[in-house]
Amino acid sequence: MRKIREKIFEILIKMLTLFSVLILAFVVIFIFKESLTFFKEVSLLKFITGRRWNPLGPPEELSILNIIWGTVYVSLVAIAIALPIGIGTAVVLSCYTNRNVKRLIRGIVDILAGVPSVIYGFVGLLVVVKFFEVNLSLASGESVLSGGIVLSVMLLPFIVSTCDESMEKIYREYSQSSRALGVSKSYMIRNLLLPASKRSILASVVLALGRGMGETMAVMMVIGNASIIPRLLGKAQTIPSLIALEMGMAEVGSLHYHALIASGFVLMIMLLIINGLLYVIKNRMDI
Amino acid sequence: MKKRVSLLISILLVLILLVVGCSKGSSNIDNGQAGDNVEENTEYKTQITFAGSSTLAPVMSSIATDFIEGYSTWDKVDSSFPEKDIIIYVSAGGSGAGVKAVIEGTSDFGMLARDIKDEEVEKIGDAKIYKLGVDALTISINPENPLHKVKDNLTSEEIKKIFAGEYKYWDEVESSLPHEEIVVVIRDLGGGAHEVFQNAIMGDTQVREDAIQAPSMGALVTKIIENKNAIGYASFGMVNQNEGKLIPLKVDGVEPTKETIVDGSYKISRPLIVVKKGELNPLQKAFMDVVMSEKGAQIIEEMGYVPAF
Repeated sequence: MRKIREKIFEILIKMLTLFSVLILAFVVIFIFKESLTFFKEVSLLKFITGRRWNPLGPPEELSILNIIWGTVYVSLVAIAIALPIGIGTAVVLSCYTNRNVKRLIRGIVDILAGVPSVIYGFVGLLVVVKFFEVNLSLASGESVLSGGIVLSVMLLPFIVSTCDESMEKIYREYSQSSRALGVSKSYMIRNLLLPASKRSILASVVLALGRGMGETMAVMMVIGNASIIPRLLGKAQTIPSLIALEMGMAEVGSLHYHALIASGFVLMIMLLIINGLLYVIKNRMDI
Repeated sequence: MKKRVSLLISILLVLILLVVGCSKGSSNIDNGQAGDNVEENTEYKTQITFAGSSTLAPVMSSIATDFIEGYSTWDKVDSSFPEKDIIIYVSAGGSGAGVKAVIEGTSDFGMLARDIKDEEVEKIGDAKIYKLGVDALTISINPENPLHKVKDNLTSEEIKKIFAGEYKYWDEVESSLPHEEIVVVIRDLGGGAHEVFQNAIMGDTQVREDAIQAPSMGALVTKIIENKNAIGYASFGMVNQNEGKLIPLKVDGVEPTKETIVDGSYKISRPLIVVKKGELNPLQKAFMDVVMSEKGAQIIEEMGYVPAF
């Protein structure tokens, strides 16, 4: 009797797992199949190395190199801003706070992750973009930098929670020994804690990169959505914002429509690679 | 004992998950069955769905709300109709999505804020097209921009040069203006609004590549209100709603007013269209009659567009 139950349980659990794997497979296959129609007309190489995106034509030019750069650029700028802040926060959380304060700060940082991205976009549009226009006398404040600033706030929680987890472990392990040796706390953090958590910091960067590249709404509202070669203070376009912006209007079945799905395919491949990277890093981290 | 209970609980949880996992599929079937039942009883379904243009969606949902509040059940509209609640869904997702929904049958009506293309009519097959109104795109600037004091008129040629990036600074448009960069704001290149602008003004010339693409008409208008060097094609309805916050200019000497838009002398305009595949059932017809009536026209006008009937 017990054995049968055990068996049923096992089968059920396995089926559920299969289900979630199938969902991923289904999404990948669907996107691949839909973009195949496009790649029959335009080669993949031309699609990702060409610079012009002009769906209206004629001639219709559908290449997304500038947009791929824009996607990566905005995320990198965001990480460059968020990383020092995030690591600092994680250090404070793991070494300088007692439990209650820690819980409070963690809660607040986690709320940051829960704020809808359209709100960030809105604040970004009215505060960051406006600030650039008024103070930097840019003609228009929509830029990679403002996208990066808005995005950095959204990535902060990911960096903090990934780093904090392993930093706390390391701190607990070594704090007593280093205190016994008489080294100061800051010396320990600089020479022991930070080097030892190198890998988790790297993992958080990769996680944030993946998260940032997929962000749509907030970025779309503040980067100007012009598919030109991205510069720090110039406008840019990212793949998710391109899809969100044009999918509703593209005529179903047209080359433009399939090009948008194909750009989604490229984004997905990029994210799969990043997730693979994250997996490798995490695996090594445990050893 | 404890183990058994926990095993039981986990099996239960799994079962619940399974049921939840299936709910999407099975609810579809339910809907289908419900639809069939209704058809058996009354021969037509009592739900009407609209999908498409985000310009037209608020208009339709406003008319629908009025309609539902006025009648609440179908039999009050006409005694031969079933005694069922009136349900009208309106969802916005762009003109292209509206046509897609009609072709695929996911929605009864599609809403478009541009002319329907011949290929689209072909794909739908038996298409019924209703023209509800006209929306015009005004060439608008920020009130702080001195341009409108110097001259309130731009020729098509000048607009084309501004949007194509041939004029980069305002003093190139009019020498008395300050040497400041022109900020061009457009809607997404593939969208209905841009298509109208492209056809009416740009022709084969491309818009400058670094123009800001606003994700919605609201965002475009906000950009013009916020940035004193901005110029963009704000819709006539939006300009009326934000009177004084942005200044519409004359195009080729024609001011965008209701009269000039309806008689076609103002050139940058687009029709607001509702499209349906196949014949309307009596319920759908009853609703569309209200949309095309005086009452519908009044709401279209309130929303800032110009009724076409």
